[in-house]
Amino acid sequence: MVLQADLAAVEEVLQFIGVFVSFSIAFVAYKGVRQTDSSSLLRLALAFVFLGLGFLVESMVGLRQVIPYLSTTAATVVVGGLLLETTGYFFLAFSHVVDVMLSKRAGAALLVFPVITLSGLQLSNILSILSFYFVMYGVVETVYSYARTRKPDTLLIAVGLSMIGLGTFFQWLSLVYQYVGVLSLLQIILQEMGLLMLFTPVLRFAVGGVKVDGAV
Amino acid sequence: MVQYRTQVKIIADVLVTARDMNTEGAGVGVTALVRKANMSYTRMSKLLSELVGSGLLLELDGEKISKYMISEKGKQFLVAYSSFQDFAQSFGLRL
Repeated sequence: MVLQADLAAVEEVLQFIGVFVSFSIAFVAYKGVRQTDSSSLLRLALAFVFLGLGFLVESMVGLRQVIPYLSTTAATVVVGGLLLETTGYFFLAFSHVVDVMLSKRAGAALLVFPVITLSGLQLSNILSILSFYFVMYGVVETVYSYARTRKPDTLLIAVGLSMIGLGTFFQWLSLVYQYVGVLSLLQIILQEMGLLMLFTPVLRFAVGGVKVDGAV
Repeated sequence: MVQYRTQVKIIADVLVTARDMNTEGAGVGVTALVRKANMSYTRMSKLLSELVGSGLLLELDGEKISKYMISEKGKQFLVAYSSFQDFAQSFGLRL
């Protein structure tokens, strides 16, 4: 029982790290939107705003011992958080779809594939698998981009996204096998490690002292 | 696969051309910009008026034709473009 409470506390802390990292990336991307008017950065900012909100909402579940009202709405909060998270991953994948100019074919695949494979599953499960699908699409595109640019940061982001993808897969497993408590912790650890890898370009931005003030 | 240029990339290309070709400080003509930026004359004319309007380019009135040079704001845009391009590329995206 004590161990379970400890795990819940660790999960809570990790969720808040996720919130911080997501909003930091969204902030830098938004600065980029203001300065360059780039639609790619706008989609990236939107993706991480949704992800940050998703993590924030999901972290509320852990507060149900402090706020009793949340106990009765925990299931709704989980679905709400997952919905926001999935929307974030969708924008992440969508950025690549637009970027590679395959919007018709890939866009259709994004819509059709999950519907065919996921009918009959519960909403949370569907959202988790959708997230997994979107992230893996992002991984493929990022690896493809790395093959062109050979930029180490891009490879790091691809690895980070893979870990997030694996995390979402464990998230789905934790929903199916709810009695295996460690799955949920594994999911959060993988997602947080992945998010911290995505944080690298933001850190480089901060350390490099790039001028980000003054809109064009 | 054909890589289309985004609007931001086109703007950056025009600004870089206006900066690099303006060696004598007298500005760069539309023809030179069209050739270097690989755009049609009509599209370039429209873009140039937008860039002048937003203060990224300065229009110098010549005897026959207008010439253009990059403004301080345009130079700042290129600095921002370069750094955010790096940021976007890390995520496998193009600006």
